[in-house]
Amino acid sequence: MSIQFLEIILLMTLVTYGARVLPFLLFKGKNVQGFVRDFIELVPIALLAALVIPELVTPNGSIVIIHNPFLWAGVLTFLFARFVPNLFLGIVFGMGVFWGLDKLLH
Amino acid sequence: MNTKAALEVKKGFTYGLRQSLTIAIGYAPVAVTFGILATQFGLTFWEAGLMSFFVFAGAAQFIAIEMIHQGATVWMIGLTTLIVNIRHVLMSLSVVPFFPERTLPWSLGLAYGLTDETFVLNTRVLKDVVREENRRHVMLGINLGAFGSWFVFTILGCMIGKWLPIQFSGFQFALLALFIILTTTSLTRKNAMTYLLAALLAVVLKLLIPGKIYLIISVALAAGIGAWWRQGARSGRVSSKKADYKL
Repeated sequence: MSIQFLEIILLMTLVTYGARVLPFLLFKGKNVQGFVRDFIELVPIALLAALVIPELVTPNGSIVIIHNPFLWAGVLTFLFARFVPNLFLGIVFGMGVFWGLDKLLH
Repeated sequence: MNTKAALEVKKGFTYGLRQSLTIAIGYAPVAVTFGILATQFGLTFWEAGLMSFFVFAGAAQFIAIEMIHQGATVWMIGLTTLIVNIRHVLMSLSVVPFFPERTLPWSLGLAYGLTDETFVLNTRVLKDVVREENRRHVMLGINLGAFGSWFVFTILGCMIGKWLPIQFSGFQFALLALFIILTTTSLTRKNAMTYLLAALLAVVLKLLIPGKIYLIISVALAAGIGAWWRQGARSGRVSSKKADYKL
């Protein structure tokens, strides 16, 4: 195990546990309201967009639409997950479709 | 009153552990998937297990193994984890009122097991437990059950991952598939604008700026503009209905 990996684990633990434990240590039962609450609530959905969409649209650093297995596999996985709300099946479906499209489009 | 008190005494650690069963079952396939992907992405058995043990946070762990695979720096991974997990502050804040008399060891211990899923279950279960001491034990049971499942099934996934063929190209899509599935369950009319804004910013910034920094900038900007817009909409509503509402 490399030192760099241990540093990653340490830092991840620090920020994750920190977010969980600080209210326990500092607060007496007050709740965050207003802008900060809305901001924190919107972070997960914004992050999902930022993680997924660039990878689908610009897999190799420039925008590709037609010969792009990532984009089409992404669209199909999205539609599949809307109808079959099962995490495991969805991942298997996505991987299978990507594998097929990757063979087909290249 | 007496029977209620008698029932109450029984609600302790074991009660919490039993309640955690639904989460434990739900975590199993996700943790197995994480174990498989972690080994496929080049992590060792121990590294994946250690991450599940210490970090204990689904989405952040998936993102981290992808970033490690792409060669991101330690600080980028730490910062991204912070962004992903900052939401735990909100959950923690709304659980804290259940434990007004908490001691330091209980604070440190109970906070460790707070995830999206244990948070939802705890808030549902704890409001029916009368005494704080019992609430502590129930939450400990719930959190430990969830944690145990996450850790054990990560290890199982690592073992499966070692046996799978490495050459399957579908694995490069597994994480994206996971995030897309999560999107379908969390996208609503109220946050769709923020989603679109973040997507647009991320694509543009990824093309303009080298590295992974586009993630943080686009998320912060989109969530910031979304929150600011919500504030505006809210104050607009309040001022137009001032006669009806007293804040």
